[in-house]
Amino acid sequence: MRALMHGTHLRPRATGAVQRVIRRVSLGAALLLAALVLAACGVTPQTILEPTTEAARASHWLFLVVFWAGLAVFVVVEGALLYTIWRFRRRRGDTLPAQTHGNLKLEIGWTIAPTILVVLLAAFTVPVIFANAQEPEDDAIRVEAIGHQWWFEFSYPDLGVVTANELHLPVGKPAAIIIKSEDVLHSFWVPALRGKLDMVPGRTSVFRILPEQTGTFPGQCAEFCGTAHALMRFTVVVEEPEEFDAWAAHQLTDRVPPTSELAQAGEALLTPAGCALCHTIRGVTEIGTIGPDLTHVGSRTHIAANTMGMTRSDLEHWLRDSDDMKPGNLMILPRPLTEDEIEALTEYLMGLK
Amino acid sequence: MATTTVSVRPNTYAGTAWSWITTVDHKRIAVLYFVTSLAFFALGGVEALLIRLQLSRPELDLVHPDRFAELFTMHGTTMVFLALMPLSAAFFNLLVPLMIGARDVAFPRLNALSYWVYLFGGIFLNISFIAGGAPAMGWFGYAPLTATEFADTHAVDFWAFGLQILGVSSILASINFIVTIINMRAPGMTFNRMPMFVWMTLITGFLIIFAFPVITIGLVLLLFDRYLGTSFFLYQGGGDPVLWQHLFWVFGHPEVYILILPAMGIVSDVLPTFSRKPLFGYAVVAYSGAAIALVGFGVWTHHMFTVGLGPVADTAFAISTMAVAVPTGVKIFNWIATLWGGSISLRTPMLFAIGFIAMFILGGLTGVSLGSPPVDTQVQDTYYVVAHLHYVLFGGTIFGLFAGIYFWFPKMTGRMLSEGWGKVHFWLMMIGFNLAFGPQHQLGIDGMPRRIHTYGADMGWDVWNLMSTVGAWTIGLSMLIFAINAVRSMRSGRDAGPDPWDGGTLEWSMSSPPPVYNFAEVPVVDDRYPVWKEKHGGGHTGAVVAEPPVADTEHDDEEPHIHMPNPSYWPILVAAGMVLAACGLIFHQVFVLLGALIFGISLIGWIEEPPG
Ligand code: HEM
Ligand SMILES: [Cu+2]
Repeated sequence: MRALMHGTHLRPRATGAVQRVIRRVSLGAALLLAALVLAACGVTPQTILEPTTEAARASHWLFLVVFWAGLAVFVVVEGALLYTIWRFRRRRGDTLPAQTHGNLKLEIGWTIAPTILVVLLAAFTVPVIFANAQEPEDDAIRVEAIGHQWWFEFSYPDLGVVTANELHLPVGKPAAIIIKSEDVLHSFWVPALRGKLDMVPGRTSVFRILPEQTGTFPGQCAEFCGTAHALMRFTVVVEEPEEFDAWAAHQLTDRVPPTSELAQAGEALLTPAGCALCHTIRGVTEIGTIGPDLTHVGSRTHIAANTMGMTRSDLEHWLRDSDDMKPGNLMILPRPLTEDEIEALTEYLMGLK
Repeated sequence: MATTTVSVRPNTYAGTAWSWITTVDHKRIAVLYFVTSLAFFALGGVEALLIRLQLSRPELDLVHPDRFAELFTMHGTTMVFLALMPLSAAFFNLLVPLMIGARDVAFPRLNALSYWVYLFGGIFLNISFIAGGAPAMGWFGYAPLTATEFADTHAVDFWAFGLQILGVSSILASINFIVTIINMRAPGMTFNRMPMFVWMTLITGFLIIFAFPVITIGLVLLLFDRYLGTSFFLYQGGGDPVLWQHLFWVFGHPEVYILILPAMGIVSDVLPTFSRKPLFGYAVVAYSGAAIALVGFGVWTHHMFTVGLGPVADTAFAISTMAVAVPTGVKIFNWIATLWGGSISLRTPMLFAIGFIAMFILGGLTGVSLGSPPVDTQVQDTYYVVAHLHYVLFGGTIFGLFAGIYFWFPKMTGRMLSEGWGKVHFWLMMIGFNLAFGPQHQLGIDGMPRRIHTYGADMGWDVWNLMSTVGAWTIGLSMLIFAINAVRSMRSGRDAGPDPWDGGTLEWSMSSPPPVYNFAEVPVVDDRYPVWKEKHGGGHTGAVVAEPPVADTEHDDEEPHIHMPNPSYWPILVAAGMVLAACGLIFHQVFVLLGALIFGISLIGWIEEPPG
């Protein structure tokens, strides 16, 4: 093979073929690159790369440290591997290589090198561990975040507000998120705000979030929790303190009484259709505790743990066949609803602003 | 010298089905392990392909979420306990006696028992698919999803009993190989001259006998919770689901080293052969394996950084986790130094061994990043972890095991695997693997949790997922090519001869496949690479020296007359009794009695069996 390559008469053909190969490879690479850029530019709302709090920024910064350090090590070691293979590839006429068995100095050297790297990484890591473990201040807004199969309950014990799947926080004020679960493991995770913390039945964990930017940030259950695990999402709405106060004050009021005849018919159905068994709608029925509080459900942007929009068609679909939308969900109606009932209930729920 | 003279291919594998059922020959048991573990590997692979199909596009509806959960649970359980561990065991069986100059393992019947318990345990676990549903809570079985309240079918029982049964198999095998390695080495085969694969087998054996009791206890407590109404893992009764996590990962982290060390041993023996140079830093490679194993028992809560154990615990375990990276890195440097200055030939086994190093580097680096708790709490339970674990378990273990398969297939069968198809297999697998698992790093960073059966089109995850699915199916194709190559080569592959690769360790001194008794005369060893030394010199001569004839070979036929252990049907009966009893605990109590009876009688039969 090597001998052939030296034959001059073969050169032109070889170069032609090489050029063709290069052209093809670069075309392929360009296409791949385009696909990657496309994918990278796509909106990824749940990314860990856009932190908005100090805690999330600290994680992000450490991630960048290990990423770049890791990349450097990767390039050096893979490079050394490939270079070695290329340089010492078997050639015709190779004699037996020198039978070396080891080298103490080298061994010591390449034990020390990674040791230095991990000691540095540990030195960067440990302060962040302690910083991120900071206890919430005494005057922090307390929110109990409770995991249920398959939705999130948020209650503000000091304010008396209870809601679901949409956590509101005022910007610039520390919040103490008190994390619990009622059934199995779940995990509370909003990448933009900070790393996750598991919701463990029988345990209470607390972490501090100090939001710095207004906006809505997606979160998702990150610990497998049964059938509908994939469909257990939530949003955090960070808003100006005035907006937050107004929101909280409104959440404290009883439900908005229905005005249209259709909506009134919907309200009348709450008990006979079985909704009241599980849901509370303050001002009408307060016995239900199993499902999300619906007093102001119409003011939320999503239903079914943020997997469907708060729209007429999604609501109707949900009431008609919730298992089709979210297989396994625990909203089990005593009997199927009629189309008229679905229409009335939808009208009513959409009005619960 | 005498050992290399056998040239006819012996009938090591000839015989009836009955002879296979009652076999106690380590080489036949190795074949059984290979075939069975590769079959389970295919099953786990099909499960993975279905998972990837469902995730190829957003909001697909191909697999019901409950089936999806069964698929990922059984995929993980199958790959870890039914494919990779037993595939390593296949290599232990094939190689350890040959490499240390022994005629069989220390306890041949126990060896057969390990295999049958494994086979029946694996079938038992998979029966759940047709007996009311497979386990669906993830391969680490986190409480309380395993509690009767949330899992009211027998799925979890199949899983718990199944793992107990498989644990019996692993522990018995480990004891057997530890004793074999310590007691049955040929004269002159000091610890310092053992092939690196034997070293790693020894360390893996100790890992298994120290790690498996922990999960055994965890599973017993779980079964108490499910059958006897205790609440070790249920907070309502004063228990704690986090206790399960500790027990599982005290076992689980050593388990990942149980899965990687044998492959590291294989690579440490393949690299020198194809570089025509001894392993660089032999002692360091061996000791770093031991160090990894030891430190590996002190890092388990890095799987639990999101539980909220507090900054002190997180710090301690972050540091121990990062410490593990050091001996791991040292091994990689020694492998590269083994190549350095060599005469490197890129035959198929070598390609897979180099693939192992190249991919394992990345898996190790992402492992270090996960060892930093503030990073981990962001990417824990996302596809980033899925990517990490596949870079070490697939990029590492599976590439390493395939290096071993291509390397020792000729020794086992007497025939070569096709080189050309082997290379096609390698490159397809390499490309498919990186296409399947590379993008998963990005998915994790983009916030995609693991174990979700669907995702919204609004999440920006579709391109990467599609790539990943294409990659997975490419891997599937490469495996198909391997399977065809293996079957064809078995029938009509080129004759291998005793030493097709110019190898150095003892197994290359005998015919392929080796004769039933392995060594006509027990060799005397005075070098790490005795066969190499004999062929290429190295200061001394006569590396493999025949022992003076033993007393009972006074007969004059050509075949040496060597006492080998008799076949026995008791091992398969003991295993059957054990698994039948487990079935009884699920289906009907009568089978418990029946199983116990078979077990007891067979055990007595075993003890009373006259020696060969
Ligand atoms: C440099 C060495 C390594 C380090 C520092 C390391 C670190 C870690 C960490 C911190 C995790 C937990 C990630 C999480 O759940 O958030 C993890 C997961 C895992 N690692 Fe490694 N690892 C290393 C090598 C290995 C090796 C050699 C294997 C096996 C061959 C392995 C197999 C796994 C598996 C299977 C998991 C995930 C288990 C699961 O969640 O299903 N790792 N590793
Ligand atoms: Cu681990």
